Amino acid sequence: MAKTITQEFTKGLWDEIPPFRLVLGLCPVLAVTKSVENGLGMGVAVVFVLVCSNMLVSLLRNIIPSKVRIACFIVIIATFVIVVELLMQAYAYPLFLKLGIFIPLIVVNCVVLGRAEAFAYKNGPVRSIVDGFGIGIGFTISLTALGALREVFGSGTFFGMSVFGPSFQPFTFMVEAPGAFVCLGLMLSLMNLAGNK
Amino acid sequence: MVDNNMVDTNKFIVSHAPFWHDGSKISTRNYNIALAALPAILLGIIFYGMPAVGVISLSISSAIIWEFVFRRVTKRSNTIGDGSAAIIGMLFGMLLPATAPWWLVILGTFVAVVIGKQIYGGIGANPFNPVVVAIAILMISWKDLFDFNEALMNYDFDFAMVYPLAALKHFGVSAVDSFNAGDLLMGKQSGGIGSTFGLGLIAGGIYLIIRGIIRWEIALSFLAGVFITALIFNMTDSARYAGPVIHLFAGYTLIGAFFLATEDSSSPVNFIPMLIYGVGAGFLTVLIRNIGVYVDGVIFAILIMNLTSPLLDKIKPKAIGKAA
Amino acid sequence: MREIIKMIVVLTVLSSFSGGLLAAIRGGTMEKIEYQQLVFVKGPAIRNILEGCSNDPIVDRFKIKDGDIERSFFVGIFDGKANTVAFEGVGKGFGGDMGLMVGVNIDDDKIIGMGVTTHSETPGIGSKAQTDPKFPNQFKGLAAIEPCKVKPDGGEIDAISGATVTSRGVCVGVTDATEIYKRLKPQIAEKIQEFK
Repeated sequence: MAKTITQEFTKGLWDEIPPFRLVLGLCPVLAVTKSVENGLGMGVAVVFVLVCSNMLVSLLRNIIPSKVRIACFIVIIATFVIVVELLMQAYAYPLFLKLGIFIPLIVVNCVVLGRAEAFAYKNGPVRSIVDGFGIGIGFTISLTALGALREVFGSGTFFGMSVFGPSFQPFTFMVEAPGAFVCLGLMLSLMNLAGNK
Repeated sequence: MVDNNMVDTNKFIVSHAPFWHDGSKISTRNYNIALAALPAILLGIIFYGMPAVGVISLSISSAIIWEFVFRRVTKRSNTIGDGSAAIIGMLFGMLLPATAPWWLVILGTFVAVVIGKQIYGGIGANPFNPVVVAIAILMISWKDLFDFNEALMNYDFDFAMVYPLAALKHFGVSAVDSFNAGDLLMGKQSGGIGSTFGLGLIAGGIYLIIRGIIRWEIALSFLAGVFITALIFNMTDSARYAGPVIHLFAGYTLIGAFFLATEDSSSPVNFIPMLIYGVGAGFLTVLIRNIGVYVDGVIFAILIMNLTSPLLDKIKPKAIGKAA
Repeated sequence: MREIIKMIVVLTVLSSFSGGLLAAIRGGTMEKIEYQQLVFVKGPAIRNILEGCSNDPIVDRFKIKDGDIERSFFVGIFDGKANTVAFEGVGKGFGGDMGLMVGVNIDDDKIIGMGVTTHSETPGIGSKAQTDPKFPNQFKGLAAIEPCKVKPDGGEIDAISGATVTSRGVCVGVTDATEIYKRLKPQIAEKIQEFK
């Protein structure tokens, strides 16, 4: 059972990488990954919320009565989400306009609530922060990868820069909603293929 | 038909009932389908020359290669021998204009074989017709490549090189007055390589029906659905909606009725469900053509009806001796 | 009983802590957010109207109290003289309220430009009020102290074809702006001195 701190971190990058292994938090994964920039921005927001909420939940785990713990988690998470929203409005307004409603919706993202309930409520603050950081980075990597795949083929650009030159005719299907499902499915199956030796 | 290639059946697992049984192997069925499609392809090749040969052969070969690669990567048995991938490639090529670029063909067969079929577990397990899935996805992405008027602009024939459905959509009924059933049946219209020669498609379809490979119920009810719906539209306002002849013999209707809607695993198997399935697809086809934004509705109509096919199959004859 | 009290206390403390934190951060970022919103939402229209000015109109702004509402005015400096302001009027379009920016030269009371900032009009029809420069350009040079109307209503603005309601709404918005201008002109003239 006893994992080292490093293991707590690295498990979020492969063994428990949220969208692909835990298959959690799919709503933003599907909705905002139209471009790399969106994916990365969303990921960073989630990392911040996850680390902060994990830390606070873990610090307060002996005070929070178990009967109202979900309510407490939600209050904590919602606070940090609004903090992220305000900061993003103040310092990255164009990104805020693109992510729109999905920033407030981090509150109900299963990954964040899931880590608070399943990990931070049972472990010490240091481990919880590391866990939140690892899972968050894993989430960011997945979103960025999916965003990159969809942006490169769907719009022919990467971070807004043209990849294939002007003669490329973009595969528009990829940046539309059904394309998100197909891409996610293909990536999931590739992960399983690589994992099930 | 319960061949050991059907699903991975080395554990004697077969997919759920009901089944068709006709005693032949999957590969024989597929060779028959290829044979039935031959006249339509040949006429397409005569009309469009080498580019058509190129598209069809690239389509068939890349479909087989995708199937091979996917089965190899996922460490499953090799199934290219059953001819299913070849048929997917062939039908896909038939729907494309002869000017389709190479990458469109290769990507399309990838979508058809991998996303349309293999992802679900291979032959017999796909809920949608793989060819139709591929065409739908590509059509959404590259509308202008599927605009047959524009794509085939450089061809010069002794007949008006017009895609009847596009003319109908953009210029109204008067633009398609010059088309008569005979010309349309002889392929004197613009369209996919193998989708314009109506007579050939009908002949192929009848051959397949006689051999028991496709179900006449689906093909005929599809055509009837198109005919009746188009007739109703035409009768309510003949200045706005073209008559049933155009709808029957232009676009993908005939290839849809005989080769696409009848695909085994995505269509129902009981009598009444087959009729509903066919009529529904025909009805939706004309509805999309007359009211929707897309020029041809066959592809989307078949996809939608594929979706309903497991539900339709709940309508089945009562088992003997059982109370209602 | 103790358990219930504990729950109430914990939740209350947590919530008030959360509220305090949020209030602090909101206070700290409010100005920055307002600036960002101006830059990205109204900025393009303001820059368009005050084209050729030598300052940054979004930085050089002031507020005037108009009854209960506080209105923002953006100053444009031309040839070293601060004689132009851009401000917002509201009109009713086909899909709801439309926000629009009107630039007025206070020396001769003439409109120097107009641009739609926020709208929910039909894309491709009413939205032309924002995207097609021909329509807003008609407002250039009109007197800023008279109501403005589309041609069918006896005015001089050509309506966008197929979007009479939107065009009329824009005119109502411009008229709204001219009324604000008439009402607040003394204060505007006074405040703008600071930027000279």
